[in-house]
Amino acid sequence: MLLISAIVSGLAVGSMYGLIALGFHVTYVVSNTVNFSQGSSMMLGAVLGYTFAIKLGWPMPLAVAMALALCALFGLVVERALVRPFAERGSNAWLMATVAGGIVLDNIVLFTFGKEPRAFPSFLAQKPISLFGAGVFPLQLIIPLVGIGIAIALHLAFHYTRLGKALLAVVQNKDAARLMGINVRRAIAFSFALSTALAGLAGLLIAPLFSVHSEMGMLFGIKAFAVAILGGVTSASGVMLAGILYGLLEALITAYAGSTYTQIVAFTVVIIALAVMPNGLLGRAASKKV
Amino acid sequence: MTAPKTCPSVMTFVILAMTVAAVALVFGTKGYTHFIIALVALTTIVGVGLNVLLGLTGQVSLGHVGFYAIGAYVAGILTIKGLSFWLAFPVAGLVAGAIGALLALPALRVTGPYLAMVTIAFAFIVQHTTIEWKDLTGGQNGLMGLVPPQIGARIFAEKELALFATLLAGVSLYLFSRLANSAWGKAMVAVRDSETAARSIGLNPVSIKTAAFAISAVFAGLAGAIFAPLMMFVAPDSFPFSQSILFLLAVIVGGAGWVLGPVVGAIVTVMLPELLSHLAEYRLLFVGALLLVVLWIAPEGIIGTLARFLRRIDPAGAKAAPDFDLAQFLSGGIARHRLEVSGIGISFGGIKAASNVSFTAEPGRITSVIGPNGAGKTTVLNMIGGFYKPDAGHINLGDSELAGAAAWRISRAGIARTYQTTQLFGEMSVLDNVLVALRQGRLGNPLRGAASEEDRRAAEALLAFAGYHGAMAAPANSLPHVDRRLIEIARALATRPQVLLLDEPAAGLMKSDKVALSALIKRIADLGVAVILVEHDMALVMGISDHIVVLDAGSVIASGLPADIRRDPRVLKAYLGSGEMKARPRPAPWSGSQDAILTCLKLSAGYGAAPVLEDISFTVKPGEMVALLGANGAGKSTAMRAVTGLLRPVDGSIIVDDERVERMPAHRIAASGVALVPEGRQVFPELSVRDNILLGAYTRKDADREAELEVLLNRFPRLRDRLSSRAGLLSGGEQQMLAIARGLMAGPRILLLDEPSLGLSPAMINELFDVLAELRDDGVTILLVDQMAVLALSVADRGYVLESGRVVRDDTAVGLSGDPALEAAYLGRAEAAQ
Amino acid sequence: MSAASRIPQIARRLLLAATAVTVVSIPAFAQDTMKLGLVAAMSGQSAKSGEAIVRGMSIAIDEINAKGGVLGKKVELVVRDDESNPAKGVVAARELVQREGVVGLFGGLDTPVSMAIVPFANQAKVPFMGVWAAGTPITRNGAAENYVFRVSAVDVLVDKALLAYAVKKYNAKKPGMILINNSWGESNEKGLKVALEEKGMASVGIEKFQDADVDVVPQLTRLKEAGADVLFMVANVAPSSQVVKSLDRMGWDVPIVSHWGPAGGRFSELAGPSGAKVHFIQTFSFNGNPSPKAKDIFAKLQAKYPEIKTLADVTPAVGIANSYDAMHLMTLAIGKAGSTDGSKIREGFYAIDKYDGLIKSYAKPFTPANHDALSSEDYIFTYFKEGQILPLTN
Repeated sequence: MLLISAIVSGLAVGSMYGLIALGFHVTYVVSNTVNFSQGSSMMLGAVLGYTFAIKLGWPMPLAVAMALALCALFGLVVERALVRPFAERGSNAWLMATVAGGIVLDNIVLFTFGKEPRAFPSFLAQKPISLFGAGVFPLQLIIPLVGIGIAIALHLAFHYTRLGKALLAVVQNKDAARLMGINVRRAIAFSFALSTALAGLAGLLIAPLFSVHSEMGMLFGIKAFAVAILGGVTSASGVMLAGILYGLLEALITAYAGSTYTQIVAFTVVIIALAVMPNGLLGRAASKKV
Repeated sequence: MTAPKTCPSVMTFVILAMTVAAVALVFGTKGYTHFIIALVALTTIVGVGLNVLLGLTGQVSLGHVGFYAIGAYVAGILTIKGLSFWLAFPVAGLVAGAIGALLALPALRVTGPYLAMVTIAFAFIVQHTTIEWKDLTGGQNGLMGLVPPQIGARIFAEKELALFATLLAGVSLYLFSRLANSAWGKAMVAVRDSETAARSIGLNPVSIKTAAFAISAVFAGLAGAIFAPLMMFVAPDSFPFSQSILFLLAVIVGGAGWVLGPVVGAIVTVMLPELLSHLAEYRLLFVGALLLVVLWIAPEGIIGTLARFLRRIDPAGAKAAPDFDLAQFLSGGIARHRLEVSGIGISFGGIKAASNVSFTAEPGRITSVIGPNGAGKTTVLNMIGGFYKPDAGHINLGDSELAGAAAWRISRAGIARTYQTTQLFGEMSVLDNVLVALRQGRLGNPLRGAASEEDRRAAEALLAFAGYHGAMAAPANSLPHVDRRLIEIARALATRPQVLLLDEPAAGLMKSDKVALSALIKRIADLGVAVILVEHDMALVMGISDHIVVLDAGSVIASGLPADIRRDPRVLKAYLGSGEMKARPRPAPWSGSQDAILTCLKLSAGYGAAPVLEDISFTVKPGEMVALLGANGAGKSTAMRAVTGLLRPVDGSIIVDDERVERMPAHRIAASGVALVPEGRQVFPELSVRDNILLGAYTRKDADREAELEVLLNRFPRLRDRLSSRAGLLSGGEQQMLAIARGLMAGPRILLLDEPSLGLSPAMINELFDVLAELRDDGVTILLVDQMAVLALSVADRGYVLESGRVVRDDTAVGLSGDPALEAAYLGRAEAAQ
Repeated sequence: MSAASRIPQIARRLLLAATAVTVVSIPAFAQDTMKLGLVAAMSGQSAKSGEAIVRGMSIAIDEINAKGGVLGKKVELVVRDDESNPAKGVVAARELVQREGVVGLFGGLDTPVSMAIVPFANQAKVPFMGVWAAGTPITRNGAAENYVFRVSAVDVLVDKALLAYAVKKYNAKKPGMILINNSWGESNEKGLKVALEEKGMASVGIEKFQDADVDVVPQLTRLKEAGADVLFMVANVAPSSQVVKSLDRMGWDVPIVSHWGPAGGRFSELAGPSGAKVHFIQTFSFNGNPSPKAKDIFAKLQAKYPEIKTLADVTPAVGIANSYDAMHLMTLAIGKAGSTDGSKIREGFYAIDKYDGLIKSYAKPFTPANHDALSSEDYIFTYFKEGQILPLTN
């Protein structure tokens, strides 16, 4: 009972981490930069979904599509305003800029959306179904499926499609990619749009299990970053796997050692894992020649 | 990020003045201002620590609030337990420093975002430990009733604490300026700029980075120890993760690597929120937005951006003091030993890259290692230099066994090296590059200046000896290729090596530079150094070598005197090719349409202020093969970059067919049918050979990709065998073929080739020019830039000669080949091997 | 983009930002005002609490100023954001006292922030009034001259009341605790342990969870397997609802006796119908409150803040009520002192005889031995039904 419920909740929460972490993966493989406001992007997805579906009463598919589209737009803004001005001149100030961008977005949402957490009801998270004796919301089973599905789709897209390979080419050699006729700026912008849309999707999926407010993404963003790194940020499947493992780890520590130790043990595992596997679970170091 | 360059004594004065001003401010103001000054000072102290880590060693830590918290808790707990603050204060710094050194263990195994994550995880572990270790830390509710420091009867309230923090901040800045100018500081920058090169001048990156981590943590811990009595209360929530980001922000906003960066950054990041405090709930929004504005305006930090306007480089060049005895300096009075390599071998993933390689390098002699691309020459150098650990065999210098030792140990044992692509410490000055190597890894007192007068004389003498006459204060990454080669050799010599490994030193040099280089190598050997040379330029190798070792497929196939090697049939077959290098001219002179495919009219372009190209004009007609010739730096590659759109903006016009493209971005020019095979191949190393070729057709909609791929594989049969392997694993020659195949896959109207023969073995060059001749005969329009001017002209129909960015001659290839003046200036018949 | 074309663009951005800052930053140079300071969480996840405090105080100030203010001066509230960070809270408190010259300070939701301000307030001899944070040692801080007062619940008293209720109503024998992992949770962990010990009882398990925990099932399963028959819950509204949702999913129907967290927002919306099973403690509720004063204040709130339409919009009511009463008590004390001198105001607090407040009629609310205006008799148990907080009759 304890084990099954821990596994079920670990899987669902872990795939959430994985989904946001895939956003880190996407921008990293294309541009070697990441958006440290991913947590805020996730929050934006949930807040917009709530606004469209609950406040304005739009049909759910339309609300979701619109929320994801606006999240993608936010990604474009992040890339254009917070990453490109720094990354193109080789400065790593994009790190700070995206953090600051996240703070600004959180606070804008605080004043426009409101200060109270709101509920985002969904029929997928109201009646639990029984799985091996443990109660589970259907949504908790859907999240891992979506997460794994997207990780597989990303892997296939990057390795077996023309566009995917073009995106991979961009990070390996920007000039050579240009010479192939690849619009490098657009490719990078696209990766950011995709990355924030993935985070937005994570926000929409988690909202019915959680609550919607301006700071809901903060800790998720940090844990997702841990997961992205742990999985080896260059590998989509590694990132998703790490997400699930991290979620399971947290749930199992809580279930068997008690919640006091969850964070300490989980973060210690991150450090040890990285010391043993400096490129993460499935990540690969760029081939280096002396 | 640039290492501090301001003269230390001026800097000391500035720091003193700022400290005095802050102290005066404390005396002139009251309560709240004291408090803010104290916070600015504490942030400065933490910032100085982060600056050691970020500014000097280039490592990002997002976990420094952890050390700050450790310092605060240690001081708080010890003073509550009755220990005097004046004892608790240094203990807090030491504890933080020890934990910093401990964190360095896992942290040093990772880089980039992985390192960021390790530090973030550390901060969270510290936070949760302070929450859960209730007996010691008071848990979530923290420690109350902290005892203020006291001297005699004087209890330290905020005023005294502000003074104390200000003084400590001043001392921290001063220590940083001393550290940055010490051998330790230079070594940290060296490790940041090129860890590889740092190891090969005897620096141990692990101990240097660990030291940086520990020093950095000490500063944060000391600041935390003052923070505790200032707040009179510490709790886990006093050290939120966001504070780590603010600390880092202070350093970045101020300017990482600059002595005064942290103080400027601390003033901005502490004062800004205070100035906006009346905005209450809107404060964070504005703080976030204003920080973005600061980052936009000054992306290199405030000091870094200011310095960009003020920076001037002292143009003084190196002058050898007449009484400086270089031979004495190099020998150091020690007996010279020979290097004996016996039976070494190594395999990567089951593939033998080298096996049973043996040879001896005698002091005062030049031993050359030659062989085709992929023969394992650099692998052998890497084993000798300690970058690879051989699976078998011995490497002995005199009596000491070096096989498998760490690179920095091997360097200290007396083996120095240079690299195929120069590995200078790019942000450091030329002089510092040499000075840091002089220490042979012995860094000494971290607060003493790096260089004595004697060191400076030695460094100047070495630079002058190597033939570098440019500014010694110039940052190394701003210099042209030739100078970087020479400085790298001077730097290698600064370690007083018994053995010097040179990895393709002549690659990319023009004839006159090669002549000077051969002379330099001979002079080095004459000073008693055993030189091991890996080089493709046969004229150079044959001209100066005392002994030659030929490798093929990882094994020695011949060794002996140059004259013997030259005649050895195995060597001829494997490497030199059948006799002289030559290329096949067009059977009959070219005649075709006169409507140019590519026209450049009055094209000017450059990087920054100085134009590299001035008003050059040239045309290429359909089916024609045109060569652009000229010395290094004449502007050939710049012209290629301008035509393909990689370099923008340009003046003048570039017309492809009837379309003007000079304002188009590169990807659109590529789509319009201009394909460049760039200098250095630039294949996508992580993609398969097949994917690389297919990406060439990225913009084509109608192509039958599989059929065209098949045609290309017939033309380049070597690629067929490697079709699914990663391009990065290919040898240089194979990569060049791949790059050409990729260019052809675009079905280009014109194919541009930039230095295709660079770094290839003679046999491979012959094969390459055969391919070019075939393509020409098949009607492909080609614009070729190549250092091998004789070969280029023999395949081309016409040529343009560039000099200092201008076209000085254009004629048919035959006409140019016969011009003796040009030959003397640029071509040099000797370069086409013997 | 060339460097030249960037500059005007940046200059424009800068100008915009600067204009925005100056517009917002013109300070109220009102002469002759009596400044009182508030240090509370105005941003972040506790922002709602700061808003409630400001609302309660603003209504009180309007009433006070309509009657001519205090000591002949109008009262002005100066608000600072502490970002829930004790260090920021201390800086803000110092700035208010030492630069703005406020006569008295109010604190916000977070116990650690208030704890951090306590030593400064006592040292600077500035009255510091808690209106929310319930941490026991805030007022019982051991200072010889204690300048800290409070109109709010006190954890140690709340915890006794929670236990008494659980025993009386549910005949609890094996209670378990599910606590938020912050200082508030920890303060109540201590308080509940003491309360249990006094009754000769023990908890079967103490579990912590985080604000961002989506799923509390592992913790609750541990409590269930330990045989808990009642759960004590201490957490703000959103995490509290996570507990309820997790219980729903487990299908574990266990009584929950809770601190006042659920009152801080739209609990029934967040927790769903099962939210009604949670019985939580309150110092005040507009719902089912017969007093005319409550009706009057609610009307004033509606007039001043048009976004308040129904009772569900005045959350958290306790924050509004506590701060409303606290502001009145503070000005009464200043009036009694007849001076803005801190130590005189402190005496002024002791001199207050009677004040008809929103929460209750205070009689001698403060004495040198008792700095808490509310006591365990003022606690009521309530539950949420369809967005309304309804009192439970014992």
